[in-house]
Amino acid sequence: MAGLRWTCKAQSLKKKGKMIKIQHVSKSYRRVDALKDLSLEIPQGSIYGLIGPNGAGKTTLIRILAALLIPNAGLVWFDGEEVSKTPALIQRKVGYMPDFFGVYPDLTSVEYLEFYAGIHGIPRKKQASTVNDLLELVDLSSKRDALVETLSRGMKQRLCLARALVHDPEVLLLDEPASGLDPRARVELRELLRTLQSMGKTIIISSHILLELAEMCTDIAIIQGGQLVLAGDVEQVTRRLDGGQHIEIRVLECVPETTEALKEIEGISNVTSENGDVIQAEFIGDDRALHRVLATLITKGIPVVSFAPRSSGGRLEEVFMSITEGSSPT
Amino acid sequence: MTFAALLTKELRLRLRRERTIWVLITYLLVMTLLGFLFISRTNIYNSNSVSTLGLGLYTLLVFVQLFLIMFITPAFTATSINGEKERQTFDLLLCSRLSAFELVAGKLVAGLANALLLIAASIPLFSVVFFFGGVGPAQVFQAMLVFVVTAIVVGTFGLFCSTLLKRPPVSIAIAYMFCVIWVFTPWLLSFLLQLSAPFNGSAQGSYIFLGNPILAMISTFTFGVGPPIGTVSLFGTSLAPWITYTIINLLLTIVLLLLSTWLVKPYPISRLSRLMEKRPRKGKAAATV
Repeated sequence: MAGLRWTCKAQSLKKKGKMIKIQHVSKSYRRVDALKDLSLEIPQGSIYGLIGPNGAGKTTLIRILAALLIPNAGLVWFDGEEVSKTPALIQRKVGYMPDFFGVYPDLTSVEYLEFYAGIHGIPRKKQASTVNDLLELVDLSSKRDALVETLSRGMKQRLCLARALVHDPEVLLLDEPASGLDPRARVELRELLRTLQSMGKTIIISSHILLELAEMCTDIAIIQGGQLVLAGDVEQVTRRLDGGQHIEIRVLECVPETTEALKEIEGISNVTSENGDVIQAEFIGDDRALHRVLATLITKGIPVVSFAPRSSGGRLEEVFMSITEGSSPT
Repeated sequence: MTFAALLTKELRLRLRRERTIWVLITYLLVMTLLGFLFISRTNIYNSNSVSTLGLGLYTLLVFVQLFLIMFITPAFTATSINGEKERQTFDLLLCSRLSAFELVAGKLVAGLANALLLIAASIPLFSVVFFFGGVGPAQVFQAMLVFVVTAIVVGTFGLFCSTLLKRPPVSIAIAYMFCVIWVFTPWLLSFLLQLSAPFNGSAQGSYIFLGNPILAMISTFTFGVGPPIGTVSLFGTSLAPWITYTIINLLLTIVLLLLSTWLVKPYPISRLSRLMEKRPRKGKAAATV
């Protein structure tokens, strides 16, 4: 992968600004409202996860971003350009992978990619090298002459991802790319997305499985009933979903003093000391506030041996389910 | 570039399907068997009867081929756009640099290539007719032109149906209905006209047949001295039905192709209303200036 000739724009991972701005977008299909006044900003170079149950409006939003649907109201800005005014230009900057990967089963992997390279205007001379690099990127070089219909689901998924990348787009729109994949294929997909992010791509990915997105995304937006419930970077969102963090503190001595000191700190609740020198507490706040907790303990002369904040991932799905279960948006 | 890529893919896919080979084999077998049966049941007494046999064989092959083209061509084009939608590959074509016209034209050319392959494959069969005589090269050329025009117009109508209708089976059925109406309606109308006014129908009736493939094909044959039935006079020039057929149907093809180009992109109605909204504004601006 390191020797890729394919245009690997080694852009910095540092977020440069907002790549996509969605302002008050609404879309309805006859009497069904798919999106209701949704506003969102997607940072450049991020892996942005759209999460919500089936029918939440994720696919509609992705199709609007791909300029395949026109919203009934609202505006979408793409790198400073309004999507509805220049749909063709936007589509050239976007690599779109739909939830159902339609393929031409009678073509080989190479022919399939060459076709898409051709209709994206890649010169014939460059097509072979582009296709070879993409096959290498998605680890399908050994299947280059295999008919698409003979590929496994995971391989087809990777081939479709290569297809979405054929014109070197700035933004990738992936609609439920991990659905139906086995755990190994999911891990491979995650690694592949990280590689693409390191190439400077902004990746927008939808899923209805929160933990799946939390593993691979830098930012997340939760959509329910066509409305935005929650958005932000993964840490913030999981913390808000989780209702805070669980802190485990081990001290050499002074357990009662530590318990009292913790109770006085803002954001700390449910302080318990069950196993002698180990104190447990619930905490809500950002990293700075967390640092202040530790600093307060040290300042008060408490001999802290270990300070271990952690979010309880097991509960995450339950909280997400309760949030998206007919709740009103926040 | 983009058009060539689409055409290459379409031809590759079509020629790889087993169906294409079986259609070609069946097509040639039907033509050969009918020709063989015709020859074996005809008695040849002298040189005159040999040329009559040649003309008879040619007539049979020409009309069988005309009906086969009308029967087979819609199957090649009537699922080209909605088939992509059903396969869920259509959005990916829309997201590419293919223009609407390139998309429609590429699909049409690929579909017609199959029909033209059948016509080309039947040329050796037609050459057998020349052994017997009775048919001139000009006549064969005119018949080939009628074949090609028929394939183009039927194919374009099939493509139009595939852009208009969501489901491939429906678009195929509508395309076949068009063929039946197109071929038989003039004959039915002519029959009804004859019944209503038996002595007043010749000039009026000839216009009904403008653009009809059967009359166009009949007109490529020379019967006696006068102009063929259905000849139309335009600016002092008399045009044989196969010429008016070619002109009318090529114009119809252009109209259908433009409509298909408009319909293939999403939101054809809202795009049209937006276009209509823009025009009066331009007029208003011009008036105020």
